[in-house]
Amino acid sequence: MSYRIGVDIGGTFTDFTVARESGELLLWKQDSTPDDPGRAVVQGLAAVAEQLDTDVEGLLGETELFVHGTTVATNMLIQRNGPTIGLLCTEGFRDVLYFRDGYKPERFNMHLEHPRELVDRWLRIGVPGRFDPSGEEVAPLGEEEIRAAAAQFREAGVRAVAVAFLWSMLYPRHEQRAAEILREELPGVDVICSADVLPEIREWERTSATAMSAYVMPKIREYLTALTGQLEGGGLASPLLIMQINGGCARVPEILARPVNILASGPAAAPAAALHFAGSVGDNLISVDMGGTSLDVCLIEDGRAAMSREIQVEGQPIGVSAVDVHSIGAGGGSIGWVDAGNALRVGPRSAGANPGPACYDIGGTEPTVTDANVVLGYLNPDAFLGGRRRLRDDLSRAAVDKFVGEPLGLSTVEAAAGIIRVVNANMVGAIRAVSVDRGVDPRRFTLVCAGGAGGLHAAELARELGIEKVFVPLEAGVFCSFGMTVTDVRHDHVTALHQVTDAIDLDAVNATIAEMEQAARAELLEEGFTEDEITLEREVDARYPGQVHEITVPVPGTAQLGPADIETLVGSFHEQHLAQFAYNRTTMPIECLHWRVAAIGAGAAPARPGAEAGEAEVKPMRTTEAYSSASGEVEEMPIYDVATLGLGAAVSGPAIVAAPTTTVVLHEGDVLERRDADGFLITVAPAAGAAGSARAEAVPA
Amino acid sequence: MEPTQTMTNPTAAEAAGGAYDPITFSVILSRFDAIVEEMTRVLEKSAWTSILALAHDYSCAIYDAVPRQVSMYDALPIHTASLHIAVREIAEAFEGEINPGDVFLFNDPYSGNTHVGDFVTAAPVFSDGRLVFWSVTKGHQMDTGAYIPSSVVASAADIYQEGITIPPMKMVEGGELRQDFFRLLLANLRYADLIEGDLRAQIGSIEKARQRIEELCEAYGTDVVLRYVDEIIDYSGRRAGQEIASMPDGRYEAEGWIDSDGFGHEHIRVQVAVEIEGERVKVDYAGSDPQAKGGANGSYATSQAAGAVPFLYYIDADIPHNHGVIDHVDVSAEEGTVCYAKFPASTSVATIVPSDLMQDVVNRAMVEAMPERVPAGGARCGNIPQFAGNGADGHSPWGFMLFNNAGAGGAAKGNDGWPLWYNQAALGGMKIQPIEQLELLYPVRIERCEIDTDSVGFGQWLGGPGNVCAVRPLVDEMVTITFGDAASNPPHGAMGGGQGSGGGQYVEDEATGRRRFVSSSGAFKVDHTHEFYVGVSTGGGGWGNPYERDAEQVRIDVRDGIVSREAAAAVFGVVLSADADPAIDAEATAAKRAELAKAPSPVVTPTEPNASPWLKDQMRDGDTYELDPLL
Repeated sequence: MSYRIGVDIGGTFTDFTVARESGELLLWKQDSTPDDPGRAVVQGLAAVAEQLDTDVEGLLGETELFVHGTTVATNMLIQRNGPTIGLLCTEGFRDVLYFRDGYKPERFNMHLEHPRELVDRWLRIGVPGRFDPSGEEVAPLGEEEIRAAAAQFREAGVRAVAVAFLWSMLYPRHEQRAAEILREELPGVDVICSADVLPEIREWERTSATAMSAYVMPKIREYLTALTGQLEGGGLASPLLIMQINGGCARVPEILARPVNILASGPAAAPAAALHFAGSVGDNLISVDMGGTSLDVCLIEDGRAAMSREIQVEGQPIGVSAVDVHSIGAGGGSIGWVDAGNALRVGPRSAGANPGPACYDIGGTEPTVTDANVVLGYLNPDAFLGGRRRLRDDLSRAAVDKFVGEPLGLSTVEAAAGIIRVVNANMVGAIRAVSVDRGVDPRRFTLVCAGGAGGLHAAELARELGIEKVFVPLEAGVFCSFGMTVTDVRHDHVTALHQVTDAIDLDAVNATIAEMEQAARAELLEEGFTEDEITLEREVDARYPGQVHEITVPVPGTAQLGPADIETLVGSFHEQHLAQFAYNRTTMPIECLHWRVAAIGAGAAPARPGAEAGEAEVKPMRTTEAYSSASGEVEEMPIYDVATLGLGAAVSGPAIVAAPTTTVVLHEGDVLERRDADGFLITVAPAAGAAGSARAEAVPA
Repeated sequence: MEPTQTMTNPTAAEAAGGAYDPITFSVILSRFDAIVEEMTRVLEKSAWTSILALAHDYSCAIYDAVPRQVSMYDALPIHTASLHIAVREIAEAFEGEINPGDVFLFNDPYSGNTHVGDFVTAAPVFSDGRLVFWSVTKGHQMDTGAYIPSSVVASAADIYQEGITIPPMKMVEGGELRQDFFRLLLANLRYADLIEGDLRAQIGSIEKARQRIEELCEAYGTDVVLRYVDEIIDYSGRRAGQEIASMPDGRYEAEGWIDSDGFGHEHIRVQVAVEIEGERVKVDYAGSDPQAKGGANGSYATSQAAGAVPFLYYIDADIPHNHGVIDHVDVSAEEGTVCYAKFPASTSVATIVPSDLMQDVVNRAMVEAMPERVPAGGARCGNIPQFAGNGADGHSPWGFMLFNNAGAGGAAKGNDGWPLWYNQAALGGMKIQPIEQLELLYPVRIERCEIDTDSVGFGQWLGGPGNVCAVRPLVDEMVTITFGDAASNPPHGAMGGGQGSGGGQYVEDEATGRRRFVSSSGAFKVDHTHEFYVGVSTGGGGWGNPYERDAEQVRIDVRDGIVSREAAAAVFGVVLSADADPAIDAEATAAKRAELAKAPSPVVTPTEPNASPWLKDQMRDGDTYELDPLL
């Protein structure tokens, strides 16, 4: 027997997913222990081991993959309860973090608070030392000033110092020397250099990524060191791997070199889960994870998750490559309301788990999306969360009536249907933002709807977008901790090298790429991957000369680049530019800024158990009164129990399919098929008078 | 000047079709906003010059056929509050010749545009064979072929000196770019390659919106969409009306001063009277000074917008900004004044000077009547210099606008002001260039960019801080052109708060240490062999009495170098120890605060022109000052 374990620490629960060799899953929720997050991990492992008829040592000794995702660092940022830290920067530029990108959002809101920096100004200290872009040392490093700064840091009791100088991504010498001096002066204080965290042009993002790393470093190091000790003491046979925001995982030393990578990393496991579940349907997927307060959307094209380097956590940019998870405030707890101009709105305010939807009867009085689903008959009040929570449908009705129906002059059912349509429109907007708005046609994709509420909205979302196939995983509630058990190891490397393609120095480019690839390969081999498990992906940030923003395009080939490869690169840039921005300038060369190598070590794919063959004839367990979107009326609708649906069994809408952690609603013409042990595939009926939803046409030149 | 006409939409009125469905309403409303948001992103991410790609000096919007504004999402209100006038001008000029695939270009401020620097590109959107919408962008170009390398030439003596004036022109006809016209245009512009990129990005942006609107009409039916456009405009109008009705009726007056006209005439007065009656607002600039000799004049479009913009931020920020909101405010000004100039006067800087002050006098007038809604004064476009040179070889022209040194925003009740407000036209919604990107792309070194201590307007809530920015040219003589305001007449403080610092700019000679100070507008050169440029931008105005600011917050302000120890004691009444992390002397603080509370403070300050002490405080023996220098 061997196991793969995913452990995801959240604010309330620590989720465990244990996958056996056979592919069978064991899921466990342990109460989190925020004062010492590792304790819940150890407690949960004991509970899981017991269920597997073994003990912790027996479990860990046979664990081939142990991936851990943690919100410890993210919560520190949200609660701003981290240690006091210092920033050593270039003289004259101590306000880089304060000035940000100079942009005030919400133009018409005169009462918006400025986001607070992670380092107070008196501990942001500038010191002499300057390079110009060509590498000439314009001013020597001020070593005396660094020692004086260290004295101030010491007095303030800083636990970590970020060192971020201008131009250090090309010329890191000053940062390195400054770090040396600081370590001498401040024993026991963590010192992190920006060139090690994010060696890219643009000082705000680089400084921010470094400051965030410093901010979380002391606690993360303490926590991961202790956890490693506990797990190794328990006999863990494989190295502890940590989930990163780039969608892959990494060993502890790698995380401690760039702690920024673990921020907001939980949702980054979604693409791995989506590909595992729905990979047999295709590798163009849009994953949608709908929880209580938010909806996380991610585009996966050709088996690869869309990446972004513009993600901010608590208003601070992280700069590093991140799985581009687009979040909006739309979930089961989102509140429906009527504004001063009589428009129906849903969210962004959420009732969350407390006071919760009105039907929970624990204090919430406003109508939520969950209440609307109860009113429409989609959620069975007696069978919510497997019967663990009885829902009060009368309270749902009262709330929908009072806050939406009466003000708008709608019946209870019309008002509830309205709440669903509006929240669906918000969700469609979020899906369009990651697809249509980036020149990607969502109709080529399969929608993967996870989260407890995903199945309720799945078919309608797909229909609105012109998407034909929807996959709903059976265990929709533990999407991300499951994803961690099937994720790859991933290390991102980047080097700044400025080149224009009409006068490109191929030797310099090849040397730059080769250096990153050699280091990446050596690292993965050292971690035990074999050559054929290693994939290296090359990319470059490129723009037309004179443009300001870049787009990231793939760099072709696996060997040395030749002129033909550069032509291919230029061609794909023009193509991307046209798709995203509706124009291009094909007579121009391309300016390249950062060369990137993503090194991926693929683990062995876990087995997927087949579902048992079901009865030939599928029978509903009963019928219920539920809303039909086709007629706009409440009608008799059959409910099916998922346990009776064997492999290949099909159900046609209108119908409701109930599973322990999710409910699927099918409308007129939708057909659901039990795909395998993991979930359902829905073939969605097209919308009446369906419109094309994405076209990328060239603008005449 | 006539108030804007009330308009009706005959197309939509005929297109009733079905009962009103509040849900379809919400869906279509958010769809229009999403389309404009996508236009905005396309333009930002694919533009070429930093003015568009970072500074966001552009606007995207959708108009119906009337034309009424349907959505502007996050556009610049000074651009869009009057953009329907430009769209109407295009529609009338080409009546009967507007076809699918056409794109029009237009920049003439004497027939409805804001100023020559703003290029309007507009594409008609057809559905079911009818022209139903306009997809529109307005982008501020880096060059317009003026007599000096700038598209905001404060010293232009008439509109001809601003460069090329473009009446409504068909730039793309039935999907084909009109090469002859495009070549003529580009031949008149510096940095033609970059500006070609910017224009293509504008066309890309309106093309995206055209596709999306067509999809929307296809999905819901054209008549249904048009019907809900009426509802969307009514909805905003209804909500804006409620908000204005909640403002106290009355007549409110104020005045303020523009630093100069670019030709040495200083302290130009702008006068406003605001009348609120029920759901309607009248903003009248009668009594303002005669029009300026240089470019500091309002056009019809900017004057209409400037008077209305403050009401966009007085009302709930959640109300969609469309025609229904703008329609509640009537703006008037006398022709021949600095607020509304007569042809052929230059209006080269109309969107900021005098428009920024025209907004701020409304804020001055209204703050006492509704202190919760009205902020203190913000930067009025000081310290955004345009730098240019010809390269080490004399034949490689370069140029850029520096946004990093821009002045700050005013405080409001309950929160401190933001830095980098840029101007009242932008309200903080522009972006700065990374220092490293500036140094990579242009032959300059940025030697400093940091908060200027005590630049904030003091108050219970502080104005945002100004900053000090030093720029050294590296290879050739650097032409520096500035256009701005609010140095000698700084942002005002409100409800007992103090004024911003004003700030200024100078060129320092390294050999002698002597400095040439220059007024907020001017054109001059910086010698790369021994000189460097320093801009010191203004802080925003403060809000509320400084002695009522939380003492612990004042302690942090001093610790962090935003406020000096001396100012903390003298103005805030907070007495601190000399430590790097200072302690409050509670007894001395209580005594000092009690004493300060006895002196009455004005509702709005300053009340006189030329109120900034900055220049006098900075000038040393041997330094010089130049007012509105010309090259």
